[in-house]
Amino acid sequence: MISREEIEHLATLARIELREGEVESLQKDISEILEYVGQVSAVQGNTTVPIVPLNHNVMRADVPRADGDALAGKEEAARVAFPKSENGYNVVRKIIQKDEL
Amino acid sequence: MEHSLAQLSIAEAAKKLQAGEITSVDLTRACLVEIQKRNGALNAYLEVFADAEAQAKAADEVRAASVSKGESVSPLLGIPLAIKDNILVEGRVASAASKILEHYTATYDATVIQKLKKAGVVFLGRTNMDEFALGGSTENSAFGVTKNPSDETRVAGGTSGGSAAAVAAGMALGALGSDTGGSVRNPASFCGVVGLKPTYGRVSRFGLMAAVSSFDQVGPLAKTVADAKILFDAIQGVDPLDSTSVSETLYAPSPLKKKIGVPRHLLGEGIEEGVRAAFDQTLAELEKNGFELVDIALPSISFALATYYITNFAEVSSNLSRFDGVRYGLSKKGDSLVSDYAKSRGEGFGPEVRRRIMLGTYVLSAGYYDAYYGKATAARTQLSTELSAVLSGVDAIATPTMPFPAFAIGAKSDPLSMYVADIFTVTANLTGNPALSVPMQTESGQLPVGIQFIAAHGAESTLFTLGAAVEEATHKVA
Repeated sequence: MISREEIEHLATLARIELREGEVESLQKDISEILEYVGQVSAVQGNTTVPIVPLNHNVMRADVPRADGDALAGKEEAARVAFPKSENGYNVVRKIIQKDEL
Repeated sequence: MEHSLAQLSIAEAAKKLQAGEITSVDLTRACLVEIQKRNGALNAYLEVFADAEAQAKAADEVRAASVSKGESVSPLLGIPLAIKDNILVEGRVASAASKILEHYTATYDATVIQKLKKAGVVFLGRTNMDEFALGGSTENSAFGVTKNPSDETRVAGGTSGGSAAAVAAGMALGALGSDTGGSVRNPASFCGVVGLKPTYGRVSRFGLMAAVSSFDQVGPLAKTVADAKILFDAIQGVDPLDSTSVSETLYAPSPLKKKIGVPRHLLGEGIEEGVRAAFDQTLAELEKNGFELVDIALPSISFALATYYITNFAEVSSNLSRFDGVRYGLSKKGDSLVSDYAKSRGEGFGPEVRRRIMLGTYVLSAGYYDAYYGKATAARTQLSTELSAVLSGVDAIATPTMPFPAFAIGAKSDPLSMYVADIFTVTANLTGNPALSVPMQTESGQLPVGIQFIAAHGAESTLFTLGAAVEEATHKVA
């Protein structure tokens, strides 16, 4: 079973604050699900043809739109959605703080 | 709703509108009456738009103007539809049934919405779903479960449960959903309506909230196959705003072979007896109507669910990282920027979403990437190769859509038991093929169940032909 520490570490990486008692239920659920999806480890031995995964980067050049911007005129609507704004700007917390390492 | 206009199919309603026998206002009111009667219990709509009747009136005016000028109009002009809550409609709330977006108002129209607006559709409201389209029963909605119109103690299926229930209960003439691993077909099967997952790329996803970008497709839910086609025709097409969208001509058309592949090896245990009986009977009817049934094998399908879920977790964890309380949505204050994120996401996301993000974080982490995500991409390629080979010899692959009818609310509280119910639907998402669910004939009093056809890329027309054949057989028996 996946350990308590691993679940807590995953939550930190995923930027999710867990709720009371959630670690224990996640230990059980995540262990069971990982065991189930772990079946894929058998996949390579099941074929005679080498498998080339489809995933690869396809590069393309940026093409400017004839009308300039797909979201032109939506600035105000986007601003209204900000949790906190001042003078038309999104207000966010200061990232570099004196007391940090 | 014995004589209600809300019972009409889109095609029937369009004919009556065209003939001037009814107006869009009549149709819309009929749907609103059904919503008034049943939505309180069913919870299919999260919001019914207050201006629905005004939209209908505008559609009637457009029709009058077009008629006087002798112009033809879209078959969807004035047709009242329901829209899944993860598709953006400018100026309306779009919450994906999540607390993190509960008060989020869409800043632009999804391309599919723009197309429907151009056609003159009436938007009735936004429908309930599993939060961020993660689930299979609409029990993961932050705003309560959607109940099955055939039996209110049971689920409507998911993740587009609200859209399917709205159509089944006559609360809309049709609806849009989205399908990531069966999210249109599963509720279509459970609620007794038609559901289409188009070929990957045939319908633009600009303005659809991303869940699993390599699987997601917008698809129609409708009462009939003909209606599903009308909706599909209206929303499909290449879109410069979605770089994964493809043109109609990308895939060569394949002439009808009148052959249906049946993967008998998949149809052993785990399928409910009534579903099995309905499936065998439907196939027998198709055989009588000139379709040849061919036994086929898809050996790699044994890995399909594991492959599907690994990819799902990985892409969900990545796609949902945009919800951090900084630019929009729920924003909670902690004692640092990182704790702002963690608090907003911890409180905003429901349990299944949190679980999947953490699973995705795990399968993508340095030590496990090759064992999970790497293997899954290989298995996915292998399955695609197998499926293409099979589909070169048959028109479509037939299976039941779901292994069982709608289950009781709360019956599948263990996440893994919910995942394995997707056994027949996930393949089409892994390989990008189009798939259709059509209601099968069942004994009276039995819950609805659907048959699923998977066709070659771009072969939606084959699916509509097969679906119509099932409808014909069903009506003959009934």
